[in-house]
Amino acid sequence: MSNTLRPYLAAVRSTLTAALCLENFSSQVVERHNKPEVEARSSSEVVMNPLIISRNENEKVMIEPSVNSIRISIRIKQADEIETILCKKFTRFMMLRAENFIILRRKPIDGYSISFLITNSHTEQMYKHKLVDFIIQFMEEVDKEISEMKLSLNARARIVAESYLSQFD
Amino acid sequence: MSFRSIDVDALDEDILLPDELFAFSNGIEIDPETALNNVKSKEVEVRNLLTRGDTSNALIKAIENPPYGLFTIEAKDLNTQIVMEVLNSTKATVEFVKSLATEQQDILMKYIYRGMASPDLYNSAVLLNWHEKLTEVAGVGCIVRVITDRKAV
Amino acid sequence: MSSTEVYQLNFGPITAHSFNKDRTQVAICPNNNEVQIYTKAGKSWNLIHTLAEHDKLITSIDWAPESNRLVTSSQDRNTYVWNLDETGEWKPTLVLLRINRAATFVRWSPNENKFAVASGARVIAICYFDEEHNWWTSKHLKKPIRSTVLSLDWHPNNTLLASGSADFKACVISAFIKGVDKRPPPTAWGEKFPFNTVLGEFSNGSGGWIHSVAFSPSGEALAFAGHDSEISIAYPGGAIKNIRLTGLPYLSLLWTSEDKIIAAGYDCAPVLFEKANEEWKLSRIIDAGKKKVMGESTAFNRFRDWDSKGRGGSEDSELNTIHQNTITSIRHYAGTRENVTHFSTSGLDGKLVTWDLESLENQFRNLKV
Repeated sequence: MSNTLRPYLAAVRSTLTAALCLENFSSQVVERHNKPEVEARSSSEVVMNPLIISRNENEKVMIEPSVNSIRISIRIKQADEIETILCKKFTRFMMLRAENFIILRRKPIDGYSISFLITNSHTEQMYKHKLVDFIIQFMEEVDKEISEMKLSLNARARIVAESYLSQFD
Repeated sequence: MSFRSIDVDALDEDILLPDELFAFSNGIEIDPETALNNVKSKEVEVRNLLTRGDTSNALIKAIENPPYGLFTIEAKDLNTQIVMEVLNSTKATVEFVKSLATEQQDILMKYIYRGMASPDLYNSAVLLNWHEKLTEVAGVGCIVRVITDRKAV
Repeated sequence: MSSTEVYQLNFGPITAHSFNKDRTQVAICPNNNEVQIYTKAGKSWNLIHTLAEHDKLITSIDWAPESNRLVTSSQDRNTYVWNLDETGEWKPTLVLLRINRAATFVRWSPNENKFAVASGARVIAICYFDEEHNWWTSKHLKKPIRSTVLSLDWHPNNTLLASGSADFKACVISAFIKGVDKRPPPTAWGEKFPFNTVLGEFSNGSGGWIHSVAFSPSGEALAFAGHDSEISIAYPGGAIKNIRLTGLPYLSLLWTSEDKIIAAGYDCAPVLFEKANEEWKLSRIIDAGKKKVMGESTAFNRFRDWDSKGRGGSEDSELNTIHQNTITSIRHYAGTRENVTHFSTSGLDGKLVTWDLESLENQFRNLKV
């Protein structure tokens, strides 16, 4: 199973590089406005086909590009109920602090755990290849973090249970 | 007072509707019935080539003349199934991908993304492997064309 | 390197640049609503004027070489024509554009009596000077444009205009204005054409927005670059030659001769296309990129990195190419229209770079041997 991780991340990297070709585009619908077209969806010709890259049924990435912005939604692997709860809490923690993340979206798209919104102003200020590196690193680390949290949760639960039940021995 | 609920932007005659974008990308509309029949006959040929072990020609035949169109959904689903069958039974090699023309590479990339969109139906590991080999040869330009081309496969 | 001169004029992006006739001054927009004019002082540029009349981001600047006038267009739906008066100050003149969306691109015509403005209102405004009222007035080209116009180029005969827009099409339209233009000689594109006649509509087949259009030096062919990583060259009969590329899309094109085109865009390096026996193909990437020099004592360097930066390895975020971010604009710098010897590029990294084609060719030839 883990031998699909490398091609999965490589596919996400190349798709992101292709989709992160953004430019400043003033709204065609409202004068003097400049909004991310992937969110506004006001003109059909400037929003492009969404792409989904999936590793298996539980892990996939959806990339929705447009002329001046792209939305990346990640569905994190949640194998059992504990992982679902941990994932929800972890992503909620980050989304509450979305301003410090700059490219994070405050609400994920339906069916996904977390979403990023990158606009042309971000690609003007930051290197594109570093943005892609950040997303890939995020995808790698979030799995690790959730596994670590689950391990420490189980370890604590076991210690608590042992010390409580040892009273009745 | 009802003028307040009119969507002014929808009444603008000049805006491009999503259906028109298909024609603007040089897409030619075909009748769904004809498309389905074409794909069915293609399926027979591809099966023959596969049983004979000629996987490279089977793939070339399967991605030939995709049923582009706004209403040809059945034909598209059937064609995707055929392509996935061939991809599952063929080993992904860089030499084979290099032998394809640029248009064929673009169509193959479209099918790979279409397959990955339904991980419950098709094997994503195989598709990821094909994606890696195809990107090595055709570069990110191929992926850019999948994103921009409104003729959906 | 003598073949390129690099100037970092801004920390943020440069949205547009334009040189004056003798290349001693350059007008740029540093990603805000002002135009900054720099003058050459030895190896660097000094800021001499700041023109602040627009309210929103300036999208395009063009400097007319003969009449020494500047035209600027902005996302606030306005354009201004600037004249240098006797005191050495630039004064704006009113332009009646009558568009209700952002202006995206502006270019003077070859004879500098008109200029064309592309806009998000799905029209192109052709502006000419009205002597009576002392302002610039406009006529609109509407059909067959269905979306924002992203790019324009004038034909050398001063009446035909090529446009590339977000509806995936490049068009050749007549911008002949009675009273301002004399009847032009017949070209390969057509003979008699009143205002707003469409002389050619081209699409590249994969549905990408057309970022840049350019007429060849003679005007007999039209090249356009689409967002689907394709360059297409169209001829008046309707024939189109497409080149599908493996890199990222191009944002700007320049013909350096009848059979050579330079393109640049999201790959951050200019690229040369050549025509050989009626077939166009990618010749080479002009920016060879500087190779990272590996130090001899890499172990020492690594430990030094650990100590000073707190992390190991040489995680260099810089790109190998001269431009560190997307190149948005290529303009002619020196040489005639039929044989360009130098060109200038500006991009989102705030750099303005001039390239010497001949010495780059020599370097490349030396490498080949």
